[in-house]
Amino acid sequence: MAKEDVQKTLAELSRELQESKARLEEAQRVAHVGHWEWDLETDVVVWSDETHRIFGLSPQERPMDLATVQSMVHPDDREPLYRGVDQDLVAGERPSGEFRIVRPSGEVRTVSSLTSERWSSLPGDTKKDASGRPHRLFGTIQDITERKHTEEAFQEISRKLQESNARLEEAQRIANVGHYSWDLIENRVTWSDELYRIYGLDPRQAAIDLAKVGEMIHPEDRELVFAAAEKALQSGTPADIEHRLVRPNGEIRTIHSFGTVKRDASGRAYEMFGTAQDITDRKCSEEALKQSQFYLSEGQRLAHMGSWAFNESGHYWSDELYKIYGLDPQNGAPTVEQYLALIHPQDRASMAETIKRMQEEHCGFDQIERIIRPDGQLHYIRAVAVPVLEQGIFKGFIGTTMDVTEQELLTQELRREQGYLAEAQSLAHIGSWATNFYTKQIFHISDETFRLHGFDPKDRTPLERFFDTVHPEDAAAVTAAIDQAIHARTDFDLREYRVCHPDGTIRFVRAIGHHNPSGEMGYYVGITMDITERKKAEQEREKLRQLEADLAHINRVNMMGELAAALAHEIRQPIAASITSANACLRWLAREPPDLERARAAAARIEQDGNRAAEVINRLRSFYMKGVPPEREMVDIKEITREMTALLRKEAVRHSIKIYSELAEDLPTVLADRVQIQQVFMNLMLNAIEAMKDTGGKLTISSRSTPQGHVTVSIGDTGIGLSVENTERIFDAFHTTKPQGTGMGLAITRSIVDAHGGRVWATVNQEAGATFHFTLPAKTEADA
Amino acid sequence: MKSVAAPTVFIIDDDRGMRQAIHDLVESVGLRAESFATGEEFLGKNHAHRPSCLVLDVRLPRMSGLDFQRRLAESGMQIPIIFVTAHGDISMSVRALKSGAVEFLTKPFRDQDLLDAIQQALERDGITLKEQAEVHDLQERYRALTPREQEVMTLVVSGMLNKQIASDIGASEATVKIHRGNVMHKMHAASVVDLVRMADKLKDTPRK
Repeated sequence: MAKEDVQKTLAELSRELQESKARLEEAQRVAHVGHWEWDLETDVVVWSDETHRIFGLSPQERPMDLATVQSMVHPDDREPLYRGVDQDLVAGERPSGEFRIVRPSGEVRTVSSLTSERWSSLPGDTKKDASGRPHRLFGTIQDITERKHTEEAFQEISRKLQESNARLEEAQRIANVGHYSWDLIENRVTWSDELYRIYGLDPRQAAIDLAKVGEMIHPEDRELVFAAAEKALQSGTPADIEHRLVRPNGEIRTIHSFGTVKRDASGRAYEMFGTAQDITDRKCSEEALKQSQFYLSEGQRLAHMGSWAFNESGHYWSDELYKIYGLDPQNGAPTVEQYLALIHPQDRASMAETIKRMQEEHCGFDQIERIIRPDGQLHYIRAVAVPVLEQGIFKGFIGTTMDVTEQELLTQELRREQGYLAEAQSLAHIGSWATNFYTKQIFHISDETFRLHGFDPKDRTPLERFFDTVHPEDAAAVTAAIDQAIHARTDFDLREYRVCHPDGTIRFVRAIGHHNPSGEMGYYVGITMDITERKKAEQEREKLRQLEADLAHINRVNMMGELAAALAHEIRQPIAASITSANACLRWLAREPPDLERARAAAARIEQDGNRAAEVINRLRSFYMKGVPPEREMVDIKEITREMTALLRKEAVRHSIKIYSELAEDLPTVLADRVQIQQVFMNLMLNAIEAMKDTGGKLTISSRSTPQGHVTVSIGDTGIGLSVENTERIFDAFHTTKPQGTGMGLAITRSIVDAHGGRVWATVNQEAGATFHFTLPAKTEADA
Repeated sequence: MKSVAAPTVFIIDDDRGMRQAIHDLVESVGLRAESFATGEEFLGKNHAHRPSCLVLDVRLPRMSGLDFQRRLAESGMQIPIIFVTAHGDISMSVRALKSGAVEFLTKPFRDQDLLDAIQQALERDGITLKEQAEVHDLQERYRALTPREQEVMTLVVSGMLNKQIASDIGASEATVKIHRGNVMHKMHAASVVDLVRMADKLKDTPRK
């Protein structure tokens, strides 16, 4: 090659080199990469310009030596850096590392250093000492501060992302919102944890797939869900639906699902992403709200209650209010004039006055008025208006209006009924009351109750004063009876006590109190009735009864008189006849000559009449059972005892006498005249009752058989008794210990018992009263 | 005048002994007696017109003596009654006597008391019968008058003069005089006073 050519080539090469050096410099500057040479023998370090800049120095400012370089390394990184380089060099590795440097300005930069192995292994240039260490090293250094920052920032972002993911999950869990993504290409779904939970699944268990999702959607909603998804895929509009799902445990939840479809540049759908929220609870509260709104309107309808509001913004009437007034909601709320026109003429003036006051004074009202609906029906309306104040400033009125026709009519009916009741109470002299005797509270006292105690109903006398009216002699018993009932929680019936009216009259009353055992202690509802008239009537009746008894006795005495008179007539007739015949006889004899024939005939008649008189006497005696026994039959003493007890029980009860019978079971029958034995029982039992009629007591009938084969019947009383010396004489005829007795009862009894071959006697009881005994010989059927 | 038959005592008593005894006593003083057990038996017989009396027991079966007395009075049979009773009382006897009983005797009675009462009753009945016969006679005479004469008699008895009567009946005074003469003659009246007495008696008895 020619010299010029060589020169030229050299120059060219030099230029190229310069260029390439410049380019390298430029590249290094842009990439923040510098290079260095380190002569291990001389410890001289040669830096590129960029390396200088990295270290915050001007290029060529001064030649570098290792100490300077070392001084610029961040103190914390020096030790690890040198140790690392030494280790690498010994191991034959290329030393490299990241460390921080401190620029003269104090700025800290992070750099990365790389040692080029290749460079050191250039032929001819590489010298190694005995230990094999190279003499020179060549490497690059790069300022990675920015990258480092970016990395750190990225790490920060990444951490924050994770955090926000976690928060999102948490938020989703709290909001019951889950999300899903559906890879349309792979046909795979991914669910957030919350979505698993919404579906009642465990996120840690097997991943979800489309088939399973399909199964879990409520069968009735499946079609709807699929159709919505299909539509979203085709049209691109988001799928926004509510559907139900069935959890594995059978629970049904309502889900609001919202899904959007993502498409690539070509418009192909590749993913569907969406959220799903469990709105079951919201659904429930929505339902509840709807329900309560329904209840409100229904309630208004049922209660015939309308509501209204009147303020600056206008006049509101609820639907029910229109109905109440019989107006058409289409026409809007009526004006005051229209409204007044609906009011019953008799109430109109007062309502107009009320509205005027309401407007002028801003005061509320609560009143009942009558309206006449357009259809002519009369209704009772209760209207309540309340002024609305906001921080003391009048804003308008709200109010309710109720159709109280039914209540009003009922109230009127009730008042009428109460009137009737009061009238009835007054007529019947029965008062009603409700009171707590324990707390002395009065809940109700009817007018008649006041009057029964001699008070004027208008005075509303307190309870204590009622007690004060009780007659002093009855007060203790009344108080005791009520106290006892209060504590025993039972009803009471004060059958009779007296109350003294302020004007001095005394009335007999009866009070009946009813207590609910489970109710409040001392609370009684009852009646008090005036029984004075009844009492008087009772006393009259008692007098009358006494009179009847007396009359009966007089009748008995009269009957005896009648009997005596009849007997006297019976006997007098033959005696009179015989006397007359005797007179005639004497006259026949006195005739001249005496008519002996006629005289004899007269004497014969005298004899006849004498015998006739004797017969009457005989008949009289047989009347007392001395004669031929009449009917005899087998008589069961037990049966007669039962019959007579039944017959006389009423009489006994009237005198508070109890009848007891103690009858031997094996009592033989007797042959006797049943009626006469009944008469014996009757006489002895009546005597016993008579002996106890003022005191009451016990009448005992006992019977037994004696070893001699007799039946002994004993009739005992607990009455006034007998004196011992009287026990024989009482059986004599016309002997009586009773002021009104005939003295015949026991005489007849003895005649009858004697006639039956028995015996009758009396004994004085040890404790009280007397006992009459009689025996009757027992006869078997064979004897009869 | 018709002849008066023998007086008779009727006895009604349900007690046979008593009936026979009274019957015998009555016969023992020579009076005629007829006895019956019941009032119906007595009424069933036709009693001849003669002085009589009735001894009646107060207590009779089916009908009391007092009721029987009333029944007799109603049938116009005027017979004096003597009551006898075994158990009379004062009020009963007062009633009986007021109704015209002659006596009220309580058995046993004294025989003389009964016989006295019977005697008194028979006498009273004799007078009654005589009066009845007289009235009967007057009635016969009155019935014999012509209606005009009866009319004139009524006017004469009333004290009217012939002239007044003539104008009243629309006849001449002479005709009235003839009628008046006939009346006086037919009635056997001795004077106008006698005629007035007769008219009174006729007035007292029921006109048949």
